[in-house]
Amino acid sequence: MTVDSHHGVDVAPPLDNRVGADAKFERPTSAAVVVPIKQISPAASRSQHLLHELVHQIDRVFFGPFFREKYGRGGDKALENDRIRYYGLIQPANDGGELAGRRYVHEFDTLTGCTRGWHETVDRAGNVRQVRPERNDGTTRHYQFDNSGRYRGSW
Amino acid sequence: MHIDLQTVCRVFEDVLSGSMSREQADRWAYAVVQQEEAGVVTYAPPRERERIWAGVMYLYGVDTMKAPGEYLHSDDDISAAMNAKLGEVVDGEAAMPRGLNQWPSQRLSGMIG
Repeated sequence: MTVDSHHGVDVAPPLDNRVGADAKFERPTSAAVVVPIKQISPAASRSQHLLHELVHQIDRVFFGPFFREKYGRGGDKALENDRIRYYGLIQPANDGGELAGRRYVHEFDTLTGCTRGWHETVDRAGNVRQVRPERNDGTTRHYQFDNSGRYRGSW
Repeated sequence: MHIDLQTVCRVFEDVLSGSMSREQADRWAYAVVQQEEAGVVTYAPPRERERIWAGVMYLYGVDTMKAPGEYLHSDDDISAAMNAKLGEVVDGEAAMPRGLNQWPSQRLSGMIG
């Protein structure tokens, strides 16, 4: 099994609360205190990374039976933030255009047990061009991206 | 919640005939998915569970648009998907090998246990 079997799927729907580029930070009133940071040796960092990767693999194996057959027929991927994404098969759209079809993506947070899902529209190059999150209030909104992954707008 | 192959087939047909909107079909499928997550869906016949689920997951999102007011899928797409996912449905039975009354992982765990 390959972990990163999908390219162009790292475009998350805008559901996470992230600090935007235009966010303002409070300026400290006191002088800065310099705290020495413990240096991590490259070897230790690498072993921690490998340990984290191993945990991701274990998560995928452990949680796979719960989700893979229902939502992960197109593959699954362990993310750095302890979430696993399950990709449905692409449902083809044969309109002769640049869009290949859509698939449902189901994301499971292994720490909280929460799940969320969205529909992705992908182009023939495998890029995610549109995301439609499933909202609790039943409203639908399509978020579009260009072929280089830049956000274009929503409707 | 009880769901059978004929019901899924009928939703496909209703969408294609225009008697059900794609948005309604999507919400119907979403309700099935929610019930499945709650573990309260029963499939009839049980061995057709995977085909029923495949049909439901196609209908879930069938109203996806590629541009405002322009659906991603054509009626031909939906018709082809119905045939591919559900196949032949005759008198409550479907042309499918028997013995598929569980998700594959459940079958596997049964073999191991």
